[in-house]
Amino acid sequence: MKGTLAVLRKELLGSFNSPVAYVVLSAFLVFTSVWFFFIHDFFAADVASLRSYYGIMPIVFVVLIPAVTMRTWAEERAAGTDEILLTLPVGEASLVLGKYLASLSLMLLAVVLTIFVPLSVRELGQFEPGEIYGQYIGLVLLVTAGTAVGGLVSSLSRHQISAFVGTALILLFLTLAAELNAVLELAAVPAAVLRFLSFDHRFRNLNRGVLDTRDLAYFAGLTVAALYLTRAALVARKAR
Amino acid sequence: MIEARELTRRYDSVLAVDRVSFDVHPGQIVGLLGPNGAGKTTILRILTGYHYPQHGSARIGGHDVVTDPVAAKRRLGYLPENAPAYGMLTVDEYLGFIGAARSLSRAEHRAAVERLAGLCGLESVWRRPISELSKGLRQRVGLAQALLHDPDVVILDEPTSGLDPNQIREVRRIVEELGRTKTVLLSTHILSEAEAVCDRVLILDAGRIVASGTAAQIASALRTRAIVAVSLASRPGPRARHELDRIGETVEERDEPDGSARLRLMLNEGREAEDVFDWAVAHGLRLRAVVPERESLEDVFARLTAGGQR
Repeated sequence: MKGTLAVLRKELLGSFNSPVAYVVLSAFLVFTSVWFFFIHDFFAADVASLRSYYGIMPIVFVVLIPAVTMRTWAEERAAGTDEILLTLPVGEASLVLGKYLASLSLMLLAVVLTIFVPLSVRELGQFEPGEIYGQYIGLVLLVTAGTAVGGLVSSLSRHQISAFVGTALILLFLTLAAELNAVLELAAVPAAVLRFLSFDHRFRNLNRGVLDTRDLAYFAGLTVAALYLTRAALVARKAR
Repeated sequence: MIEARELTRRYDSVLAVDRVSFDVHPGQIVGLLGPNGAGKTTILRILTGYHYPQHGSARIGGHDVVTDPVAAKRRLGYLPENAPAYGMLTVDEYLGFIGAARSLSRAEHRAAVERLAGLCGLESVWRRPISELSKGLRQRVGLAQALLHDPDVVILDEPTSGLDPNQIREVRRIVEELGRTKTVLLSTHILSEAEAVCDRVLILDAGRIVASGTAAQIASALRTRAIVAVSLASRPGPRARHELDRIGETVEERDEPDGSARLRLMLNEGREAEDVFDWAVAHGLRLRAVVPERESLEDVFARLTAGGQR
């Protein structure tokens, strides 16, 4: 536990000592706000709904999550600092958890910062609070699982760039898996698998304010599996 | 203490470490000496739990590094090659992280920092990011990191590489200081360093220990025959040359322009340098010098590791 907290603190110090965290967070907020208010033209649409704002989040996260997680392990390997980290008296599971919580904190901060958008339009119409709660639960679940996947890919990558691209491709696939069904004419089973994997499919339920325990279980399962595999990857590298 | 038993590690098809066994006891400084690629770093990485051995086992202070890694690592301070450190952090933040990860209490951490800031000369750079530090300072930060928890066992991979002569002397002083009470294992490819600092040297070649002992022991155990350098005022005639062959084998001979001669003689079994005096007197040759040459660790090293032949 102490090891996890030490790693978490170290990671956050590193992120906020560098401009990376600030640049990534501001780029995210500027991009999503510009999209919502100007490109999507929220004011002209004249509908008191933020569904389109939260609706693009999964796609934005396809890029944002890898931007935050790509460094996690790949940078340690490139700089040789993993030799310090892995020879500390801290178990691999604690290291993985500490790093994961650090990436997750940054992503949750990004999610929290989006709250200014609903706050700023609050006066303009009758927004459905239940819907907004559902959307936030959806974003948190998405970020929880996506960050774990990003950490796993980083632990398997030699370079940050390959970690970024790998994570982005996996998240893109997971996000749009159900859409593939519209393009590919698959048999029932693979089509069901794609639907099962799809973030977007599940996110749409939450976006409507519907919380299903199956969706919760899916995101939790994906998170735990990715963290477990990250630890396995670290241990496997020692024996390679 | 460090106990290594039959350590074996293969990378793909290359056998990096081949059945290496040795012990290092408290109060001892042992040097792993070998050319690049001899397996020094791999051995250190196994001992510190960064790699697993494929065969054999290693214990740090009685704790197996594979089955009881956290206990082993707690007893251990490790400076990896090139002293990697988190460039984004300041020295202060970095040592704070190491202390927290090693579960030092606030008071322990403060005491350790006080002890090490002076020892490693880090007071002036305490709040500077590590990425801005010179190689020498970064090496000292790495050393402070390794010694923060006052470990019983200290493992240093090439602690003086890339440092200037003053910094090298400084690091050696620290290592000698550590060696009084702690178990110290370091790797180096610099012979004079091993000779100067280490109580015992293990010479590695292609993943195997090819010699071990003090520098003097290794040199004398492996010395085949003594060599003397002989300087004569005039060149020996054919009869004198013939006689000289009974004393030893001339391995090098140089005639100087002024008529004098220098030669290096490898003495035959049972012959001594004194025989050269008698020989010179018997043939009316004037001796300028007879100097016994001690085979240096450098020669032994070159011979053992087939230096230059590869």
